[in-house]
Amino acid sequence: MNLLARFRSWVRWMGNGRKLDGEMETEMRFHMESYAAELVGKGMSQREAMRAARIEFGGVESHKDAMRAAVGIRWWSELGSDLRHGWRLFYKNPAFSAVAVLTLALGVGANTAIFSIVNAVLLRPLPYPDPDRLVRIFFNEPGVGLRDVRFSKPELDDLETRSGVFEDVSPIFEGSEDVTGAGQPERVEGVNGSFSYFSMLGVTPQIGRLFGPQDFVPGFSAEAVISDGLWRRAYGADPHVLGRTIRIDNDPITIIGVLPRGFRHPGPTVAGDAEVFCAGGFSGDPFPPPMRGTRVLVSGIGRLKRGLTLAEAQVRLTVMAAQIRRDFPTDYPPQAQWTIEIQPLQETLVGKVRPMLLVLLGAVILIVFIVSLNIANLLLARASGRQQEMAVRSALGASRSRMVRQMLTESMLLSLIGGVAGVATAVGTLSFILRFVPSNVPRLNEVRIDWVVLAFALLISILTGLMFGLAPALHLAKSALSSAIREGGRGSGYSTKTGRLRDVLIVSELAFAVILMVGAGLLLRTLRDLLQESPGFNPTQVVTANIQLPNPNESEADPYHDIPRRAAFDRELLRRMKAIPGVELAAITSALPATNTNPNAVGGIPIEGFAIEDRPVESSQDLSAERIRISSDYFKVLQTTLLRGRSFTEGDEDGKPLVAVIDESTAHKYWPTSDPLGRRVRFGRDATKPWTTVVGVVKDIKSDGLDIDGVPHIYVSTYQDNGKRLSVVLRTSLPADLLEPQIRHEIQGIDPGLPVFNVSSMNDVLDRSLASRRFSADLVGGFAGLAVLLASIGIYGLLAYMVGQRSREIGIRMALGARRDDILRMFLRKGSVLAGVGIVAGLVFSAFTASMMASLLYGVRPHDRLVFLAVPLLLFAVAVLASYFPARRATKVDPMFALREI
Amino acid sequence: MSKQIDLLQGTLDMLILKAVSLGPLHGYGVLLRIQQISGEQLEIQQGSLYPALYRLEHQGWITSEWGESDNNRKAKFYRLTAAGRRQLHAETEKWNRMASLIANVLRTTAEEI
Repeated sequence: MNLLARFRSWVRWMGNGRKLDGEMETEMRFHMESYAAELVGKGMSQREAMRAARIEFGGVESHKDAMRAAVGIRWWSELGSDLRHGWRLFYKNPAFSAVAVLTLALGVGANTAIFSIVNAVLLRPLPYPDPDRLVRIFFNEPGVGLRDVRFSKPELDDLETRSGVFEDVSPIFEGSEDVTGAGQPERVEGVNGSFSYFSMLGVTPQIGRLFGPQDFVPGFSAEAVISDGLWRRAYGADPHVLGRTIRIDNDPITIIGVLPRGFRHPGPTVAGDAEVFCAGGFSGDPFPPPMRGTRVLVSGIGRLKRGLTLAEAQVRLTVMAAQIRRDFPTDYPPQAQWTIEIQPLQETLVGKVRPMLLVLLGAVILIVFIVSLNIANLLLARASGRQQEMAVRSALGASRSRMVRQMLTESMLLSLIGGVAGVATAVGTLSFILRFVPSNVPRLNEVRIDWVVLAFALLISILTGLMFGLAPALHLAKSALSSAIREGGRGSGYSTKTGRLRDVLIVSELAFAVILMVGAGLLLRTLRDLLQESPGFNPTQVVTANIQLPNPNESEADPYHDIPRRAAFDRELLRRMKAIPGVELAAITSALPATNTNPNAVGGIPIEGFAIEDRPVESSQDLSAERIRISSDYFKVLQTTLLRGRSFTEGDEDGKPLVAVIDESTAHKYWPTSDPLGRRVRFGRDATKPWTTVVGVVKDIKSDGLDIDGVPHIYVSTYQDNGKRLSVVLRTSLPADLLEPQIRHEIQGIDPGLPVFNVSSMNDVLDRSLASRRFSADLVGGFAGLAVLLASIGIYGLLAYMVGQRSREIGIRMALGARRDDILRMFLRKGSVLAGVGIVAGLVFSAFTASMMASLLYGVRPHDRLVFLAVPLLLFAVAVLASYFPARRATKVDPMFALREI
Repeated sequence: MSKQIDLLQGTLDMLILKAVSLGPLHGYGVLLRIQQISGEQLEIQQGSLYPALYRLEHQGWITSEWGESDNNRKAKFYRLTAAGRRQLHAETEKWNRMASLIANVLRTTAEEI
């Protein structure tokens, strides 16, 4: 139709309501006066004529309404007046408004903050072009239960050329490197990839250039690209940094380019972001000759060819893996079932933290539900005081839908004010909150409040507004027509309809509280179990520090190239550590307990296959254990009990027979019926390597984290077998921060280029390893506490209101002989029944939600009996307590006073 | 009053368009004109005229302008637009077809079936 004309007219009057009003008035007055003049002409008196004209014309206000509707702005003008009315109500009840806005701000704020994290970590695609085509490549041996095993250079070539599914492939070595030659010696995170690493990620440099195929060398290139962060920190953003030489692990490396700000390596690093990027060909020195069976490459990332789905690529890779197994039977024992798997890179990065974040999001959504139920309750209480207003409105001709709309506008106003306050809270506290988020959550640097987050906050606000506004609005509009006018607003008791609605609200509130409490209970119990769990050693009065020996590409430049040279360093290190005043004992380990967070990193400890002497080779395929290199006093420093045999001595050194100490898990797993002492094992598949003799058995140490059980460990002497990553553990009564300068001084006394990092007490190390669990348990626990508080306020409010409404009935009952105990019991029963129903409903739902949390639990079953028993009891007790106070007030009703009121 | 006929549903708009098609009128003038040309036979609710005028203007069929009335008072005059003229034409056609159809139906006798 005439959309344009109508739009023009709508625009003309929109926001011009006052002018429209004036014009309508003038026009209609002119009409009535003209008519009156005509009547006067027929002989009526002026007054009579005016009166007749007015009657004939009809209600001016309702005509105006119809005219506004005719130009399409009635809805808006009504919205305006509803908003003004709502604002007046908001303003007139400061206590109610404050409670509502504060609880909403809390609920919406928590939702906004948590969602901003979920959005950045889980939802937003990785910040690279075409992130869907980036995949992590895994090599698995499902036949022997191994996933993500290392791979060899020929296998990498197969991916690049034979598979035909990848545009680019890059092996990834992540690790920390010592950087010298740019101010202070520093330890930074580094990434070594292939020469196509940057083209695969689709990044362009800020200045200089990045690696490309033209840079190819078989070994490591002597060039590096640095991050924007390192460029600013170490070089003051000097544009002449290109061509400068730094030393990375003693190798002279030339800087060729600087990455743009915000570029981030798509992978876990030991601590913080990767800042130095090098490339290599993985086939020349320092790499071993490219043999199919020489598997030294740790992890790989690839970019799929355009137009290829993940499933298609996976099928081709599986087929190729089967062909390779047939082509090279000696390199791929059939029982291992070696195969290749790809997974979206994003999934690899965030998959581990997804359950935790989703549980947190679920918890905050439950909280905002509870908040809105609580507000609905408050509104219902207020609504019964407004029945008269509604009755008058409906008598004056307001339709039911019109009244519902008015009430909803009021709720929406309230929820949007709460929402704005919530978003403001989230914006103001986000950086504070992020400080508590454990650092193992990836992509935290991408967290911000963007449009998606704001849209989510708006959605949550609207939903809560609807949730707490709809029930009271419908109820009120329905009951308005009833007897409210006749009753004059004096409640005739606790009307059953409002009553039932409020009962439902309270029951749902309690049910939600139960779900939160069960979740919190399970998480807290997990945390408590882990804290009480004996780590297998005594962590108090132990101070630790980490050292990484440099790993230069030129082996001649490496003072720590072989085992004897590293053993010499170890001895000197121990001598100096023991000399520090206050240090009783010192030891070295290659794997500090509970810090093995990144098994893919260089220096991380992969689980190794080994063979046992006199056992058939086939079964040796599924023998695996973690090898940890320690010095002789390690178990003494940690006060771990030696169960059998002996520990290492200073004499277990290079050239002497190789010896090993195993832990109980290893003993039980591999020598269940026989005595392991004196038995011999051999690491790896190389049959020419010498055997290692088991000389002792120790108690299990939770070396991989408090929540990881049953990994078998084999300890070897650091003088016979050692690596470049090591930690010192010192038994001392001094605190870590006091010892740190001395430790640093002594270590740099051996080699001034060695940075020392993470000096902290063993207790702190253990604590940090639980940071993520502590964070989620604390947060959900806090929300559960809040939920209990809100639910008990709800129950208290409901019963207090009932007591007020039913005081006359109570008076009559008492006058008829009810004792105070009966009255008390009557109200307590009401509270208990509500609590009982809510709790049972909540437990049923919790049975589902708890199973969804299973992956976050340790040592506790999702349907843990203690939690499922304690939560209802606790909540029931709180509910009965919350009903007790109003119930007692009911017994104080004076029957005479109540009766006289009638 | 008994000789007056209540307005059929939906015909008010058509009458207003017809009234203003004969020359610009203010609201009261529209009322008088309709009464005049109908020979005082049509009963129009005075107040309901205005929502109808606003509706027609909103559709773009008439347009309004403030001016002076015969007794030198400020009044709003409505005028037919080109779109309104087309609309009036279409409505008139429709009405005539409908009226003759209904008249035919009502004239029908038993023999004709």
